Amino acid sequence: MLFKTAKIITAIFFLLNSLSLAFADSYEIKKVHCEYFPEGVKVFIEVSSKVTYVPRKLTSPPRLLVVFYPAKISFPQNEIKLKENKFVEKIRLNQETHNSVNIVLDLKNEEYTSNIFFEGLSQLVIDLKSPGRDIIAELLGGEVSPLVPQKKKLQRIILDPGHGGEDPGAIGSGGLKEKEVTLAVAKELAELLKKELGVEVYLTREDDRFISLEKRAELANQWKGDIFISIHANAGFNKKARGVETFFNSRYPQGEGAVEVAARENTSGEASDNISPEAKIILWDMIQARYRKESNELSHIVQKRLSEASGLEDRGVKSAGFYVLRGVAMPAVLVEIGFISNPAEERKLKNKEFRKKIAQGILKGIKDYMEKNP
Amino acid sequence: MSKKRRVLIYIGVGIIIFLCGVGSSSLFKRKVYEIKEWVSRPFLPPQEMRTVKLYFSASQENYLLSEEREIFASINPNKEAKQILEELIKGPREPSLSPTLPSSTQVRDVWMEGDCIYVNFSSSLAKAHPGGSSGELATVYSIVNTLLDNFPAYSRVQILIQGKPRETLAGHINISEPLRANLDLIKKNQ
Repeated sequence: MLFKTAKIITAIFFLLNSLSLAFADSYEIKKVHCEYFPEGVKVFIEVSSKVTYVPRKLTSPPRLLVVFYPAKISFPQNEIKLKENKFVEKIRLNQETHNSVNIVLDLKNEEYTSNIFFEGLSQLVIDLKSPGRDIIAELLGGEVSPLVPQKKKLQRIILDPGHGGEDPGAIGSGGLKEKEVTLAVAKELAELLKKELGVEVYLTREDDRFISLEKRAELANQWKGDIFISIHANAGFNKKARGVETFFNSRYPQGEGAVEVAARENTSGEASDNISPEAKIILWDMIQARYRKESNELSHIVQKRLSEASGLEDRGVKSAGFYVLRGVAMPAVLVEIGFISNPAEERKLKNKEFRKKIAQGILKGIKDYMEKNP
Repeated sequence: MSKKRRVLIYIGVGIIIFLCGVGSSSLFKRKVYEIKEWVSRPFLPPQEMRTVKLYFSASQENYLLSEEREIFASINPNKEAKQILEELIKGPREPSLSPTLPSSTQVRDVWMEGDCIYVNFSSSLAKAHPGGSSGELATVYSIVNTLLDNFPAYSRVQILIQGKPRETLAGHINISEPLRANLDLIKKNQ
């Protein structure tokens, strides 16, 4: 009986032993090779199974150290010279301890971005690229005003009269259409801005026509405006709702997804010069997000002057995900100049003098903003 | 005993055995049927109710306030969500609150996947919408905040109209992608 147990224990022992040997064998670094691209270098490290790795950036001289554990090198070569490229001088491999391997990339300069990831189970990729790839600038085709907000004199204002053409916007019980009010106020404001502030003014529409929300943002970007003001008249379910309100875009209204996509696109494993269409949709939100601080400031200043000039209830400033503002590459706000669904305010919005007052209020807001941002 | 008599007895016994067989088998069948019926009879507990929170607009439509409502509890969360949205469409009971969806709106279906609740409405949600930024904010976030408040395991809501995502309901708020709750719009009830 005792003999039998001993036999089983021995068998288990041998089994475990052979298993552990098999494991040791599987942590092997088999091969290292490189691929060269105009914008970077990719180093492929073939391993026999997914091992743990710890990357670390080292400076003076610039190096990228990747420690593999547990791992063994299964080939004699311990230095790989690379072909002519801008990033990596050579790769050194070193069996640091009996079960850890150091791979060091000797780099040519400190200006690089690195992305390390497993491709499948047996290949680790180190992707080195030039830094400062601005995907949002790429998205906009590099044809717009500087993306990172710069202090510069405001000289070009984009006005966006809401709705138009087949899209009447909100309609009051007295029959007033939002698209008529927004165009009238925008035209009035354009004249005032040119006359009193000597700035250039562009309107996304000058007559009663339909223009998509995306197109409005694209136009503003093409014209390289310094600020963007979308003019709307409000409406609600309750006829009693009243007042003026200004909006700007919240940071990432669709959640943090945009940031993740941006990060992925920025460090994409493929040598992609193109931005995927899905990513474009999400990245569109990040354009306006860059101007959030300025847009926030502008909205408060405009709201203050708008409520003063109109004499209507001050509903304050809110931020939300406005489709028309998301792709605008400049400080941008959307003003709601009164409730067309409220009969008393609808009557006012019909009145030419009242429209002039509204335009003057927005004008004063823009003037204040310009003075604060000379 | 004559041969004839013996044959008659045999036949008689045969008939009795046959009848017993028929009788017992029909009896057995009935038992099986009864058992079947007893097993398959739906177990009907007293209809359980669930208290849910609905977000409607304050009368000025500048923020959302909650109102409690009872719905039929269901093990199927999609059914509960559909009832919640139907209650939302009915509008508030509290006279100081305002509705947030056109009353002609219909909920086509609701389903949940990953961290997202998909809600598919009839075209009325957009067509019968009064428009305006405030009106749209109220509609979008009464839907989003109500669903996420009652189904805390989910973090986003995708609004669909006739099965498809749209840019906006009436030209303002972006609903092309799943939305997270907007707590800035909620005001705690006094």
